[in-house]
Amino acid sequence: MKILVALDAKDYSRKIVKDVARLAENTLADIVFLGVQEKTNEPAKTLVSALLKYQSDVYSYFSSDELPYAEFSSDQWQEKAKGDWSLSTRGMKEFTLRIRTGSVAKQAITVAKELECDLIILGCSSKFGCEWDGEMNVPLRVAEDAPCSVLVIKQARNANQIVSILDQSVVKQDSLEMVNQLVTLHDAGLKIVGVKEKKESKNDEIEHRMVELLKYYNDREVGAWVKLVDSDNVKEYVTNSSREAIVALWMGGKQSLIKKLFSRSMVDKLLETTKSALLILR
Amino acid sequence: MLKTLLYINEDLASSIALRYTAYLNKFVPLSLFITHVEEPDEKEQVGTGWVRHTWEDGVASSGKRLIDRMLRTENIDCPLAGRPKVFVGDREKEITYELRNGMYKLFVEGYLNTADPDQFYEVISSPLYTKAPCPMLVVKNLSISKKCALLCADSVDPRDLVEKSMEILGDSTFSFDIVFFKFNENEKLKTLDRAEGGSHLQETESLLAKAGKSVEDVIVLSGTPEQVGDHLRDYALVASTLPSRKSMRMYVLANSLASVLLVR
Repeated sequence: MKILVALDAKDYSRKIVKDVARLAENTLADIVFLGVQEKTNEPAKTLVSALLKYQSDVYSYFSSDELPYAEFSSDQWQEKAKGDWSLSTRGMKEFTLRIRTGSVAKQAITVAKELECDLIILGCSSKFGCEWDGEMNVPLRVAEDAPCSVLVIKQARNANQIVSILDQSVVKQDSLEMVNQLVTLHDAGLKIVGVKEKKESKNDEIEHRMVELLKYYNDREVGAWVKLVDSDNVKEYVTNSSREAIVALWMGGKQSLIKKLFSRSMVDKLLETTKSALLILR
Repeated sequence: MLKTLLYINEDLASSIALRYTAYLNKFVPLSLFITHVEEPDEKEQVGTGWVRHTWEDGVASSGKRLIDRMLRTENIDCPLAGRPKVFVGDREKEITYELRNGMYKLFVEGYLNTADPDQFYEVISSPLYTKAPCPMLVVKNLSISKKCALLCADSVDPRDLVEKSMEILGDSTFSFDIVFFKFNENEKLKTLDRAEGGSHLQETESLLAKAGKSVEDVIVLSGTPEQVGDHLRDYALVASTLPSRKSMRMYVLANSLASVLLVR
């Protein structure tokens, strides 16, 4: 598993580092910390020191004999291209610091594509809903346009329930595992909510998927419950859930009902109402 | 051993019910029988005498194959006390007859949890439930919990609740909480002082103590049925008396994520 974490020097970024460390510990993931700055000829000192501090925080989370990442052999940033610097080390797993110039959302999506990441994590401030350094649409753009799953954390470790919304789309093993990790991270229960379509023929498939998931998590001793919700009521249901729980939306392929139901504005609303985090699974 | 009849069909609710029953068996030793009813269409029904008998045998065989498939798929860790019983006819009538005839102590069936309380009410207000000779367990979800809740409200007779529930759960190794429900349209679920539960709550506690059961926690919850139903998720099952109308308590049971044991 490869996780890209978009970070800056703000409080909301600092607060997610512990969750990232725990996730890294549980999944033994390759980690990329990405900082984005305005156009200059060299990495900004504040961003460099913030990323190094976060990296050291993650390392200190592990005991020395369990640390899967190696120390950096040099503090020299490699300029990979104009406005693209990298500092990387490989132990059992790879740890990379990356600084790029441009807009945060665009760079996070580009790097995630380039490195074939499985998950992007970013924090956001609850001021004005869900903002990143004064910009309202950064978390939304990443959540909407990323090629992989995205976890937006507004407040770290603040939910006792994960509400996982799914339709008939194929559920990937990686996504199952990601939800599992969230459950572990928050010591939370998992509610699996199936969205019932008006077309009866597709409901069998959804129910089948729900029960398979219920069994999957139950076999792993995860407290999980299933519930079916009509497609007409799902938006209201999800918005209400997001006030207390972490919502995980399974957004599958083109046929995905959830993708159709949860337009850009709806995801924006969820980011605004959530008090803890929103996970978009792909 | 509690003589139990589990109804299964080839559906997901039954698949959950089978697994849940195996889990329940760890806490309440069950003498488990499985049943299935084949309900042929009017048009399918043929002839009289020997012809009809042969036709019924054929239909019953297909029911037996269905049960075999389900048992093979789920491969549950709970021995069966006898051969699966397959009947041909009206589902409710056949089950009611078998429950009376076989003197079962508990009936179990699966129910795929929906957000529509009316659908739940339709199930529990059917003659199968209202005329059942034993408590009925509606399995909504799997569980890893070791706790049960007795759901009280002003409309619940404490004696009926405790005595009938203990006929099922008295010898179990579950721990017990008492949850008293008060309807209120709060934005958030509130826990009230125990005194708010009034005499019904006190009586339930003392009857449970008389039955030799210590109560781990007594909670008075004030909120909507959705909020309370959600709160009940941490229990392996929630026991309450069978609601006779669409009361707020019925809506709690409909919204409960945990399985529901209905006693009368």
